[in-house]
Amino acid sequence: MHTKHINYDLMDFVTNRLTEPERKRVEEHVQNCSQCSMQYKELMTADAVLKQSHIAGPTSVYYATILPRVRDRLISHRRSIWDSGNALAKILLPLAVTFLFVFFLIRIPTDSISESTQSDALHQAVKDFNEDDVVQAVEKEYAGGLLSPSLEVAAAGVAEHLQGDKFLKTAVSKQIENEEIAEMDVEGMISDLNTEQVDQVLSGLSERKSI
Amino acid sequence: MTDSNDVELVELFQKGDEASFNELVRRYQEKIYWIAHRFVNDHDKADDIVQEVFIKVYSALKQFRGESGVYTWLYRITVNVALNALRKQRIKDFIRIDEFFETADDENEQPDAIFEKNEQQKLIEEAIAKLPDKQKAVFILRYHEELPYEEISHILNTSIGGLKANYFHAAKKIGDYINRAHKTHKL
Repeated sequence: MHTKHINYDLMDFVTNRLTEPERKRVEEHVQNCSQCSMQYKELMTADAVLKQSHIAGPTSVYYATILPRVRDRLISHRRSIWDSGNALAKILLPLAVTFLFVFFLIRIPTDSISESTQSDALHQAVKDFNEDDVVQAVEKEYAGGLLSPSLEVAAAGVAEHLQGDKFLKTAVSKQIENEEIAEMDVEGMISDLNTEQVDQVLSGLSERKSI
Repeated sequence: MTDSNDVELVELFQKGDEASFNELVRRYQEKIYWIAHRFVNDHDKADDIVQEVFIKVYSALKQFRGESGVYTWLYRITVNVALNALRKQRIKDFIRIDEFFETADDENEQPDAIFEKNEQQKLIEEAIAKLPDKQKAVFILRYHEELPYEEISHILNTSIGGLKANYFHAAKKIGDYINRAHKTHKL
């Protein structure tokens, strides 16, 4: 019998999880094969050490807290879906944008041309729901830092809502380059990533490292 | 409710019975906690994973059609969430932002998380932590959870032959790591 096939059964042999015919087959092989016999002894040692592993688990009090906390998070999750859902996008967001626009027009000094241009781009992007434009506007915003705080919040929120991964990549790269972004932003955004986004960012970071 | 099997609980939930979700949480919370803990070796992180798993379960339960067992499905979600948590940790480690957010792990440990870790325990945790993700998942599910290969195959979507190879290589790497450490530090 091929050694490789026996190898793959060795750990189950050590932990006594083979059927009787399988066990006999492996036992016979181990007795007649010095290489597998050595592997077997090594795995026996590893198993003996692993069996000593003991982690004291949490108390029953901890387990009693899981369900209420999950329920709380589900409630806030529902709220956040509602806040960022279609109703917001279709009804509230245009109203908010209009309000911000008017507010901005009233408050902005006439000589702040740069800020005005960026805000217009952002407003237009929000209006059009063009994801690339929104991300670009947010990037400009971070590069220039000229927008008013309320608009910054709006921009970040919209960008995250529309294009979380792109925004994150920008934020992470800025974090690496010059730590411009507040640390908590990055922390929060990493927490929100899904598997695909995590893989994308990891591969991006690896590329950056290799450069 | 507590007498219902998993499938009955899912059906009840799908018919609008919210309490059946509570029963599922109570039934599996400890199992899920321990799988999560074996992946991350940290109470707080394991706790985050447990919560995320149940939130995902709640969101997906209405669409659950029983292609696999409830138990297998829960394990699959847990492994995915745990592996994702490890990858996120790698991003944080990479960009070295940990120092801004976290003090040493020991300082953050809650009373429930204060585990006695002797040198041997640390060594085992290190050895498992160094395994590639797939081998780690196979090792945890086979060695610690004692799941049959057929079940693990459904959870990880991998052939049984592939699982056996992964399991062997994982166990061997752990053994080698422990042996090397024993020789170096004479533990």
